Amino acid sequence: MKRFRLLLVALGLALAACAPAATPTPAVTREVVTKEVVKEVEKPKATVRLSGWAANPQETALLESLLYRCSLKNPDVVVKYEPITGDYWAKIKTLVASGEEPDIYYMDIFQFPFFVAKGVLVPLDDYMARSGVKREDFIKTLIDAFTGPDGKVYGIPKDFNTLALFYNKDLFAKAGIPEPNENWTWDDLQEAARRLSDPAKGVYGLGVPADAGRFPIFVFQNGGRIMTPDFKDTLLDSPEVIEAARFYTSFRAKRIGAIPADVGVDWQGTGFGQGKLAMVFEGGWLIPYLREQFPTLRWGATFPPKGPKGRGNLIFTVAYVISKNSKNPEAAWKAIACLTSEESQTVVLSTGFALPSRAKLAGHEYFKNHPESLVIFKGAEFGTPFMWGLRGDVVNDQMAKALERIYLEGQDVAASFRQAAEEVRKALKEQP
Amino acid sequence: MRIRRRVLGEWIAAYLLLSPYLFVFLVFNVFAIGYVLYLSFTHFDLFSPPRWIGLGNYLYLVRDRLFLGKAVPNTLKYVAVVVPVQTVISLLLAFAMDQEIKFRRFFRTLFYVPSVTSSVVISLIFLWLFKRTGIINQILGLSIDWLTSPAFALPTIMIVNIWATTGTMMVIFLAGLQDIPVTYYEAAMIDGANRWQILRHITIPLLRPVIFFVVTMGVIGCFQVFDQIYVMTAGGPLDATTTIAYLIYKWAFQSTTPFMGRASAVAIVLAAMILAVTMIQRRLIERPTEV
Repeated sequence: MKRFRLLLVALGLALAACAPAATPTPAVTREVVTKEVVKEVEKPKATVRLSGWAANPQETALLESLLYRCSLKNPDVVVKYEPITGDYWAKIKTLVASGEEPDIYYMDIFQFPFFVAKGVLVPLDDYMARSGVKREDFIKTLIDAFTGPDGKVYGIPKDFNTLALFYNKDLFAKAGIPEPNENWTWDDLQEAARRLSDPAKGVYGLGVPADAGRFPIFVFQNGGRIMTPDFKDTLLDSPEVIEAARFYTSFRAKRIGAIPADVGVDWQGTGFGQGKLAMVFEGGWLIPYLREQFPTLRWGATFPPKGPKGRGNLIFTVAYVISKNSKNPEAAWKAIACLTSEESQTVVLSTGFALPSRAKLAGHEYFKNHPESLVIFKGAEFGTPFMWGLRGDVVNDQMAKALERIYLEGQDVAASFRQAAEEVRKALKEQP
Repeated sequence: MRIRRRVLGEWIAAYLLLSPYLFVFLVFNVFAIGYVLYLSFTHFDLFSPPRWIGLGNYLYLVRDRLFLGKAVPNTLKYVAVVVPVQTVISLLLAFAMDQEIKFRRFFRTLFYVPSVTSSVVISLIFLWLFKRTGIINQILGLSIDWLTSPAFALPTIMIVNIWATTGTMMVIFLAGLQDIPVTYYEAAMIDGANRWQILRHITIPLLRPVIFFVVTMGVIGCFQVFDQIYVMTAGGPLDATTTIAYLIYKWAFQSTTPFMGRASAVAIVLAAMILAVTMIQRRLIERPTEV
């Protein structure tokens, strides 16, 4: 094209030269030489910072290997990983307050409502649409959980956990009762706990800690809720919750269940490993712990039992979010898209540290060899996210205290939960 | 005129030399305290700018069950028990270490070791010792839930703190004791005073400034007790170990919606309490010493 134009110019000049001239002028021709030069120019690299909590060295190594893979895939995006040790939420909140937060950071579903309400996160729908990432690619309950009240997605779930019923195979064999299965009901759970317990030897059937991260599954199985759907009120004093609490606390009252302190441990996972608790509700985090600390323990895991109103579970999930203060949200998105891609999520799954958030991976062959992980993975189908709104900490605190009052001070179940509900309402009312 | 200029020069030199410290002091003390005072009159959730609410936070505090019913009484109990006990024990230890006994250096070092150990490490160790199946129950032949029962949790934290700080106090007392000139003792002995009289009329009065220092440091430290609680009980069970300092942390950093303003108000109240108690102490202890 360029050559052609040059030709025209030359022709024009030639014609002009041919035109009769007043004075003879020397014909001037301009020669333009174009030369193609191939020069390697690097695309400008964008640097984004990524922060998360450093749970353990293995998880850090996993993230770093994912980041390495992503750096090959997106050579123009440099991700600087800056793990936060210590109190992650205190640190990240003060960082956001001073506008110094990293471009990408971990967001737990429990903390999510406050960050969304304050508008410090970037909505991701447009980025998703542009790069062909669909909501449906992810497990529905997870992506729904990270959807704001305005219907926009503010976080891409990176992994999740739910609760499973872990059981000690040897204790079941010793008691001569069949191991739990997915069709168990509350009655089966209670009956098994009764037969497994031997308080004289310090062995109890079921771990029933005063923990807001365990008890709610019984509420859900009883058709109840912790909060109303709009999170404006609590249902801790509803009949469903109180009935669930009666059942939950009855284990310890009948000495067929125990809290961690009863068996001299801080966490019931340890009590389970030591054979002092025959059954516990725990998440996938228990699996590597048992493998490392109690390698000889014979254990299994299945779905939590069905309650009077069917199944219920808690979903603990974490997402990657992009900060509103990010100078390079485009690059940050590229990093997130890669970290949550099917390829990366497959790597996550095969290391066994966390469960991937991509729905498609349900059929992955890893699950064939690890049925206990599949149980936890499938828990997401009928689970409720572990999130109680803007004052979630108060709800958790009061729920745990309601159980503690029953356990430690012998308070009536209904009265204790009514007191908890009253305290939560007080906190909700003062919500500025 | 010449003199005045010299004085001015000295002033400049003095402030120039002080400036590194003054800078740090102004930024991290004066400014920080002033800002906390300001925040205590606001609602501040970290993410939105502080909103002035006047005395709102203070009015909340005087009606709050957690603050008035748990944090304040727990803190006062803690101070009332820990300060006298650790002062007396450390004074007795200092007397003992002041005698010509065998292995004195060894014992001095031994008693001082807890003071140079990180409080988190100490807390983690005691967490194990105080378990239901832990060594303390086994030695005593008991099965007490030291840290998980509302009745025992605070006393257990007290025990840990007394154990951990007594060594520091002992060293300060020891320095004070060795500062008392021998001549007083010799004079007293010539006058025929017995050991008790010497202690009562010579040692204690001359140690008064040191006692004031130790008690003041103890009171301030106890009012601000935080790390052992953070590590060992997280304020539980049933708020039995929620102290004022822990409440500040809880409201500022453990809330899903931070309440920085309210936490600042608590911090101001705590500072006022410490100031008041220290002033009273000054009146009581630091009378002019007469021998």
